[in-house]
Amino acid sequence: MEDFLYVGKDVPRTAEINKVTGRAVYIDELKRPGMLYGKILYSRYAHARIKSINTEKAKKLPGVKAVITGYDIPDVRVGFMEDQTVLKRDVVRQYRDEVAAVAATSREIAEEALDLIEVEYEELPAIFDPVEAMKPGAPLIHELDGHGRPVKSNVLPLRWTLNVGDVEKARRESAYVVKDSLTTPWINQCCLGTSGCVAEFDSVNNLTFYSQTNVIFGAKQRISRYFAKIGLKDKKIRVINPIVAGSFGTKLDTDIYEFICIQLALKTRRPVKIQFTREEEFRTLPPRQTTRFEIEQGCDKNGMLTFRKAEAILDNGAYTSWGATTPSVMMMPISSLYRVPNVYFNAVCVYTNNIYSQAMRGYGNPQASFAVEVSMDHLAEEAGIDAAEFRMKNRNRPGEVTPMGLKITTCPLDRCITTVKEKIGWDQKRGKKNGRGVGMASLIHVAGGARVYLSDGTGIRIKVDENGHVDVLSGSTDQGQGSQTVLAQIIAETIGFRPEDINIIFGDTALGLWDAGTHASRHTFIAGNAAIRAGEKVKRQILELAVEYVPKLLKSDFRKQKKKDPDFHEPELDFTLIDNPEKLDIKDRMIFAKKAPENPNFRIDVARVLNRALNVGNGESKTVMAEVFWDPPTQMLNSEMKGNWSCTYAFGTTGAEVEVDTETGEVKILKLVAAHDVGRAMNPTLVKGQIYGAAYIGVGFALTEKLQVVEGRVMNPNLRDYKVLTALDDIPVEAVIVEDPDPMGPYGAKGIGEPGLVPTAPAIANAIYDAIGIRFTDLPITPEKVLAAIRAKKQENQQRDA
Amino acid sequence: MKREIAFTLNNEEIAVEVEPNWTLLYLLREVLEMTGAKEGCGVGECGACTVIVDGNAISSCLYPVMEVEGKNVTTIEGLSKEDGTLHPLQQSFIENNGVQCGYCTSGMIMSAKALLDKNPDPTENDIRVSIAGNICRCTGYVQIVESIRKAAEKMKNT
Amino acid sequence: MKGYDYYKPDTIEEAMKMMSTLDGAEYIAGGTDVMVLIKKKALSPQNLISLRNISELSYIDTDNGLRIGSGVTHSRISESDFIKRHYSALFDAVSNIGSVQVRNVGTVGGNICNAAPSADTLCPFLVFDAVVLIAGQKGEYQLAIDDFLLGPNRVALAKGEIVKGINLPALGANSGSAYIKHTRRKAMELPIVGIAARIDIDAKGHPNDWKEAFRRIDDISDMLRLLEKERFVCNDARIAMGVVAPRPIRAKKAESALQGKVISEGLLDEIGRIAASESQPRDTLRGEAWYRREMVHVLTKRAVLMALERMIHADSSNNPKTS
Ligand SMILES: Cc1cc2nc3c(=O)[nH]c(=O)nc-3n(C[C@H](O)[C@H](O)[C@H](O)COP(=O)(O)OP(=O)(O)OC[C@H]3O[C@@H](n4cnc5c(N)ncnc54)[C@H](O)[C@@H]3O)c2cc1C
Ligand code: FES
Ligand code: FES
Repeated sequence: MEDFLYVGKDVPRTAEINKVTGRAVYIDELKRPGMLYGKILYSRYAHARIKSINTEKAKKLPGVKAVITGYDIPDVRVGFMEDQTVLKRDVVRQYRDEVAAVAATSREIAEEALDLIEVEYEELPAIFDPVEAMKPGAPLIHELDGHGRPVKSNVLPLRWTLNVGDVEKARRESAYVVKDSLTTPWINQCCLGTSGCVAEFDSVNNLTFYSQTNVIFGAKQRISRYFAKIGLKDKKIRVINPIVAGSFGTKLDTDIYEFICIQLALKTRRPVKIQFTREEEFRTLPPRQTTRFEIEQGCDKNGMLTFRKAEAILDNGAYTSWGATTPSVMMMPISSLYRVPNVYFNAVCVYTNNIYSQAMRGYGNPQASFAVEVSMDHLAEEAGIDAAEFRMKNRNRPGEVTPMGLKITTCPLDRCITTVKEKIGWDQKRGKKNGRGVGMASLIHVAGGARVYLSDGTGIRIKVDENGHVDVLSGSTDQGQGSQTVLAQIIAETIGFRPEDINIIFGDTALGLWDAGTHASRHTFIAGNAAIRAGEKVKRQILELAVEYVPKLLKSDFRKQKKKDPDFHEPELDFTLIDNPEKLDIKDRMIFAKKAPENPNFRIDVARVLNRALNVGNGESKTVMAEVFWDPPTQMLNSEMKGNWSCTYAFGTTGAEVEVDTETGEVKILKLVAAHDVGRAMNPTLVKGQIYGAAYIGVGFALTEKLQVVEGRVMNPNLRDYKVLTALDDIPVEAVIVEDPDPMGPYGAKGIGEPGLVPTAPAIANAIYDAIGIRFTDLPITPEKVLAAIRAKKQENQQRDA
Repeated sequence: MKREIAFTLNNEEIAVEVEPNWTLLYLLREVLEMTGAKEGCGVGECGACTVIVDGNAISSCLYPVMEVEGKNVTTIEGLSKEDGTLHPLQQSFIENNGVQCGYCTSGMIMSAKALLDKNPDPTENDIRVSIAGNICRCTGYVQIVESIRKAAEKMKNT
Repeated sequence: MKGYDYYKPDTIEEAMKMMSTLDGAEYIAGGTDVMVLIKKKALSPQNLISLRNISELSYIDTDNGLRIGSGVTHSRISESDFIKRHYSALFDAVSNIGSVQVRNVGTVGGNICNAAPSADTLCPFLVFDAVVLIAGQKGEYQLAIDDFLLGPNRVALAKGEIVKGINLPALGANSGSAYIKHTRRKAMELPIVGIAARIDIDAKGHPNDWKEAFRRIDDISDMLRLLEKERFVCNDARIAMGVVAPRPIRAKKAESALQGKVISEGLLDEIGRIAASESQPRDTLRGEAWYRREMVHVLTKRAVLMALERMIHADSSNNPKTS
């Protein structure tokens, strides 16, 4: 099993060499002939009626080619709940509401034109607290829903309820019960490249749309729905990905600016680019929303979990994007992280006049796992059991089916927990409460796709040319994780080529086959499976050609040699060794007979065979090409929110050691150990890269990052005040790869894109508790909060003593 | 009110007409179409636009173009040799997964080069200080620091 | 972006002449403040007059005190071993400003003229009793840094005047200093609070090699106890606080409470408390007032301690510890 040439090896990401030479073309670099620059005018109020818009002055500015408002484009709704229009005409419901847009010959002119647009507003009462917004009688953010029906409440009509077993009974019977309230903040995904797109129509209005989306077919579908509504039903749409500078969730949905760009291009009949400034990126890009959890769980006197009950309120903001579906993923840790027989979960998403929200790496899992894992520590303490021991007792095991209906195949959670215990020095360090502490948290995440659409499949097309070069057309995308390299490894291994022979072409709806998108850590697993199947077909075709052409090649070789050397004796060859594709194999570009792998006569460079067989010049017209669409055998969640929606699940544990400066409230991370179940590491260096990167974002989530949204307005729209960690905030992270090849995974691999982020914050919060005996339930855990809590505790103690 | 300025760009003497209110980044990206330096923020806070001027790493988004007159500017485009051979830093970033989305990469490599040119034998802390102004959202910096460290070793041994 | 023209005079005189003739002109040094303001449209000059090419502004002179030209970059200061050793608080400040990219072009002159309440060099300059050297219409004159700073982004410069440099008086033999910049991250940050301290010790009556005994001590508390036991007295002290008032200010009451006292742990805590009471921080999104006040207390203590430690190690082979 271990004699792989490329699988499991640290193949360098040479495919992306342009990224180190400065030649990679991102959206920022993309220019089309005659291209204009679009800019958007946003609302000046969180909630207001638009009384008038005057664009006359802006239109007169030299260089301005179009100024559009809601009155210049069809008044149709977009978005997954169809709760907003592209440009707002009557009412604005958030500061990021798009009121007008300009296309001009330069960014500077477009910007100047924005200043010339006059908008009169009449301010309306606004509501920013989802709890307030839920109350009966609260002012409604929307009066009509997407179908024009009156709306009765600010609570979205999405039901996120899971109810398994009998929670009430289990609570009564529990020996120990704890209850906690936890909150998580607005988080900006902070891709280093800002958002942007280019829309270009041909002369009969077929659209080519350069978008950073990580769901190219989803984007195409949304645009085509939009086209149907605006009278462009029959127009062709091609979505192309440039190189994408990070996604982290921001590129799942088609954003309003993208529709605006399309409208500007339509209006001006020229290609139009919209590229955000960093400030726009902060002010207008849908962030991860705030969530409040109430979580309660119990265990029996032996420390076995009896029930878990969690309720969540999510601030949806003024409109709806995929952020509103994150409860489906929150449900996963709540129902299925550790074995818990009785589970109740309910989440509501509430409209407010805040900026509307979106998903981020982890898709609700980091927030929910924060709640579950902080509560786990609390419960362990209540029950008087060591927190690691408590987790071991209740850990998931292979073969079980969780209350949500997830079928666990492989599950090395025990190894993850013990590895972390060992590496963090748990037994020596835990429980000292001397300003230093250790903590841990685990996770479960989908790792074999996630059936959130009717199909969770992907198509892949592999074609081989006469030089032995392989073009792979995939409908997936890459946003920096290195999918090209991993896919090339898989295909090279499967066919018998080298990774450098493989050229992966992602992100073009005209070339690739349908794909559900690069999200939910699904790419390696799903595309890998498709690639293996397509690769096997290709290999079969090559071997069939080999059966036909190897004897021919040998004969002509012998003829040539005889010409050179009259004494040459043609060797006696047993051609039955190679008379059937089954008898042949390819490795490292060489075709050989399985029965006589070392026989030099039968060892032939695959390129020679291909060159002979595929070269048009030779008069032969064979092709080597295969196409596979692979859809994993999974289920969508049913109306009870149950279903095995992924082929497999990944587990992992993160341990943290921290030191708290009790005078300043600062938390220093002395060590992080992230042990992750990856099935098989296709490329250990790349896998570690995913873990390090995710863990770092997790540390930010725990300690520093928060989009400060005050009365609907983002107050820290820059990288100085939004605290993404720097290289000097040296967090010593050790990534430990735990392997347990998954039977369904491509060569045993599981997805690992998101997991590293998930348990980081609760592990740190739990370590802080171990250090100073204070449980923090509100992220980020800032020095102010820590110091205030230390003070409060001191006072409490003094009062008690007095 | 265009002005002509002359300076050395990646070892080549050039003379260009500029508007005095341009930044160096604008000249590079929009006029010379050398788009290796990126604009991640435009106000000095991300490091994606880092280039080297007279041996020092600077943020080209804040650097007035008029100040490059007579100076020596190196950008990521000037690192690999003419035959395409990569600079050891570029090679090392590829080999050690110092690149993910790649958007921070040009700036990172330029900051690292400025460091190694002055200090061929840096400590890990030196490396971290040198790239503290280069934000990376993808990697957690671990493999970037590793890439720089290994490149330094290789450069010392050759 | 509205266009502007850009001038690069070679002398102070030339620059000042340009300023008096050009409309809507501003000086620019490293531009790390000016360019940001322009990009944010908070400043729309018609002309920029660059000070970068004026060689008379780029000196570091270490004879009898320290004199720094206004055009010296933060990087250049942080490379000076002399400054690191003797004017450690200034070294602390400049070596943690922004990032390498910012330090490579940003100048001390720009930092003090921009005079942000959070500007890092201001607290150190206050504790070193720095004097600002100004080229004015009627010739050169000097102003104490305390008088130079008027308020947030406001300094006592008349239109067209140029800061030539900053002079720092020579230090006593038994002097140490430190600057602590309290931030959320380790780089790319403005301070939530910045505290600088300088302390001079009276070593009269102690043996010449009195520091030797102290250098063998690792633990700071032990060091303090020994200072107290041997009755070392503070001769002179300066404490300055940033981001707790419209401009960085001295904690004068805390300073006088140190003056003439025997150093002890209790005294340092007391000093911190007094300094905190002298601060007038505000609640902002970058930090809450109560927290800032608390940090003044804690960090004043720590800064004085660090200053003492450095004083003891200053002329030994050990480099002074830097944060
Ligand atoms: C990303 C980033 C991070 C930063 N981090 C920090 C930080 O951590 N700490 C900190 O204190 N600052 C920080 N700054 C602010 C800035 O870098 C410093 O204030 C720097 O010292 C300014 O110097 P400069 O030469 O760039 O000034 P400039 O921008 O050129 O000038 C600033 C002001 O001073 C005037 N001026 C400059 N020189 C003179 C002179 N000789 N005579 C008269 N007037 C003059 C100019 O007209 C202008 O009004 C940061 C800036 C950025 C962009
Ligand atoms: S673009 Fe220059 S530092 Fe961000
Ligand atoms: S690799 Fe994406 S920001 Fe660094």
